[in-house]
Amino acid sequence: MEDLLFYLFAFVVIGSASVVVLSKNIMYSAFSLLFTFFGVAGLYVLLFADFVALTQIMVYIGGILVLIIFGVLLTTKITGVDIKSGTTGKVQLITASVVVVIIAISLILLFTNVEWVNQEFVQPNTTIDSIGFAFMTKYLLPFEIAAVLLLIALVGATLIARRK
Amino acid sequence: MELEYQFLLPLIIISVSSVAAVAFDAIWKNKNLNFSFSIFALLATLIAAAYTLTASNEAIDAIKAMALSDLISKHQIHFGGYSAYFDILFCLAGLLTIVAAKPFIKREYEEYNEFYSLILFSICGMMLISHSSSLLVLFIGIELMSIPFYVLAGFFRKSIFSVEASLKYFFLGAFATGFLLYGMAMLYGATGTLDIKEIGIIISQGEAIPIYLTLGIGLMLVGLSFKAAAFPFHQWAPDVYSGSPTVVSAFFATAGKAAAIVGFVIIAKEIIQFDVKSFQIADTARTAQLIIAFISAATMLIGNLTALVQKNVKRMLAYSSVAHAGYLLMGIVASNELGYTGIIFYISAYMFMQMGAFVIVSVFERNGNEKMSFDDYSGLYKSHPILSALMSIFMLSLAGIPPFAGFFGKYYLFLAAIKADFLWLTIVAVISSIISMYYYIGLILQMYFKEQTHGRLKSKVGMAKYTLLITAAAVIIFGIFPSLIVDLTYNFF
Amino acid sequence: MLETIQMEYYLILSAVLFTIGTIGVLTRRNAIIIFMSLELMLNAVNLSLVAFSSYYGDSAGQIFVFFIMALAAAEAAVGLAIILSLFRLKKTVYVDEVNIFKW
Repeated sequence: MEDLLFYLFAFVVIGSASVVVLSKNIMYSAFSLLFTFFGVAGLYVLLFADFVALTQIMVYIGGILVLIIFGVLLTTKITGVDIKSGTTGKVQLITASVVVVIIAISLILLFTNVEWVNQEFVQPNTTIDSIGFAFMTKYLLPFEIAAVLLLIALVGATLIARRK
Repeated sequence: MELEYQFLLPLIIISVSSVAAVAFDAIWKNKNLNFSFSIFALLATLIAAAYTLTASNEAIDAIKAMALSDLISKHQIHFGGYSAYFDILFCLAGLLTIVAAKPFIKREYEEYNEFYSLILFSICGMMLISHSSSLLVLFIGIELMSIPFYVLAGFFRKSIFSVEASLKYFFLGAFATGFLLYGMAMLYGATGTLDIKEIGIIISQGEAIPIYLTLGIGLMLVGLSFKAAAFPFHQWAPDVYSGSPTVVSAFFATAGKAAAIVGFVIIAKEIIQFDVKSFQIADTARTAQLIIAFISAATMLIGNLTALVQKNVKRMLAYSSVAHAGYLLMGIVASNELGYTGIIFYISAYMFMQMGAFVIVSVFERNGNEKMSFDDYSGLYKSHPILSALMSIFMLSLAGIPPFAGFFGKYYLFLAAIKADFLWLTIVAVISSIISMYYYIGLILQMYFKEQTHGRLKSKVGMAKYTLLITAAAVIIFGIFPSLIVDLTYNFF
Repeated sequence: MLETIQMEYYLILSAVLFTIGTIGVLTRRNAIIIFMSLELMLNAVNLSLVAFSSYYGDSAGQIFVFFIMALAAAEAAVGLAIILSLFRLKKTVYVDEVNIFKW
C-alpha cells in the first residue's frame, strides 16, 4: 500500500513539476505547481513528518502559490496573451545540458551505492511535540532570527513595490 | 549565563537596533534621526565587538564547556577570535557606507529611511555568517544578508539599471541558495548532524557516508562560489555592481564579498579539511583543494582580463572585485596559518581600498549612470587635485604596489600558496596582478596626463569626505604597519 | 512496512525534482516561471532533508525544513515585488527583454 502511494505521489510530483517547467501557458504552470506541492506534502506524510506536511500545505499553497498567482494576474495584460514558447539561447541550452548531465551522473552514483543499512524507520506518534520543543529550546536563537528575516522581507517588499 | 550575554552583545545590539530602526521610521518620519540612530547602533556594536575581541581565551573556553541547558546559543554560535574581528570589519564597512550614502542618495534620488535599516539588517546577517558554527545559522545568516541586498540593489526604483540589477541579483542569488541548501542537506545526510564542528569530527573519523559527503561538498562549493562571485559563476557580479546605486555597490563589493569569503573559509576549514589524513576523505579533500585552486586561478585571470577592456570606471571596478575574490581564494587553497592571516589582512585592506574607489566614482556620478567613463576622468587632477590623489592611492593599492596595504595582502597570500606547494597558482596570480596594473595605472595616467575633453566634472563630496579620508588613511597606515593587523589576527582560524 | 521503498527512492525523487527546477531556471525566460522553478528546487531540498531526518530519527532535518519554508516565503514576497516593479517600468516579465547589460 505504502509502495503504491509512494509511486503515485512520485508520479504526481514529477509529472506536475515537468508541466510547471515546460508548459507554454503560465496559468497551467501555476496550477500544476499546486499539484507538485500537494504531492510533496503526501511524501512527507509517508515519511512520518505530519507537521511538515501540514505546514507545506499552509505555507506553500496557502501563501506562496497565492502570491505567485497574484503576480501572474498583475503582470499579464490580458489573460491568455501571455503565451510564449520557451525560446532559449544556445548558452542557456548548453549550461542546462551540462547541469543535467552532472546531476544525472550523481543520480547514477546514488543508484549504484546501495549499501544502505536496512534500518526500520523510527515511527513516532506525532512530530509536533518534538518539533515544538526543539524550536523553543535548542533552536530558539535561529527561530528568533527567522522572525527578523520575515520582517526584513516585509519591509523590503513594501519598499520596492509601492507606487509612489 | 552572563558571560554568554557579554559575548552575544554585538549580535543582540545589531539585531535589536535594526528592528528598532524600522519602528522609529514608522513613528517619527525623520530622516536625520534614522541616520544618526544607525550610526549610533553601528558604533555601539563595534565597541561591543571590540570588547569581545579583547576577551581572554579562558572565557571562551568556559562558554564552550558549559552545558547545553545553560546556554542561549546552544553552541551554534562561535565566539571571539575571527568572528569578533569580522564583526568590527562589517560595522566599519556599514559606517563608511552610510556616511557616504547620505549625500549620494539625497542628490540622486529620494532618500528613504529604509535604506539605513536595510544596511543594518544585512550587517546582522553578515555577523551571523562569521559567528556561525552550525549549518542552520550559516544558512540564515547568508539569507539575512542576501534579502536586504536584493532590495538595496533595486533601491532606485525608477532607474531601469537598478531594477534590472535587483532582478538579476535576486534570481541568481536564489538559484545559488538552492545549491547551497542542497549541499547542506547532503552534508546532513552524510553525517546526521547540523553542527559544523561535529560534521568535521565525523568526517575525519571516516564515519560519514561517502557518496553524500562528496555530493554535499560539491554542491556547497557551487553555492559558495556563486555567493563569492568566483569563476564560473561570476558573471552576475559585474552586472549587479554596475547596475546598483554606486554606494550600494561599494557595500556589496566589500562587506558582501568579505562575508561570502568568511563562509567559504569556515566550510573549507571545518568540513573539507584539506590537511586531514583520514583515508576516507583524503581523495575528496585533495580534489576539492585542486578545484578551488583552479577556481581561484580562473577567477583572477578572467576578472582582470575583462576589466582590461572596460570603458566605464564603475564596471572596471566591478570586474576588479571579481579578480580580488580570486586572490582571496588562494588563502583557502593554501589553508595554512599564513594563508588565513593573509585572507584576513587582504579582506581588511581590500575593504578600505575598494570602498574608497567606489565612493569616488559616486561623487562624480550624475543622473544614474552618467559621468563615469574613462574619458570623463581625463585631466581630472586639474579640477580636483585632492580627489585624484586619493583615487591614485586606491588604484595603486588595488594594483598591489608598495607601500600601500594591498601589497602586503598579496604578499602574504602569494607566500602562503608557495608554502602549500601551489607554485603554479602563485605564478598565475603574479601574471594576473601584472595584467591588472595596466588598467589601474591606466586610470591614473588618464587623470594626470590626458587633456580634459569633456569639460569639467562636477563633484559634490559632502559627508563622503569622511569616508574617503578614513579609507585612504587606513590604506596607508596598514600598508606601512601591516603588523597592526597581522599580530592581532594571527592564529585566528 | 515500507519493505521496498528505501531512502534512496526519496533521494532520487528529490534529485529529479531539483533537476527539473534547475532546467526551468536555466531555460525559461519568463520571470514568474523562473520563480516557480526556484520553488521546485527548494521543495526538492526539503524532501531530501525530511527523508534524511526520518532515516536518522532526528528532528534537526525537519527543523531545517521550517527555516527553508520561512526563507521561501520571504523570497516570494521580495521576488514578486521586484518582478512587479520591473513590470511597472518595462511592461514585461521576460528577462531577455530587459537586456541593458548582457544577461
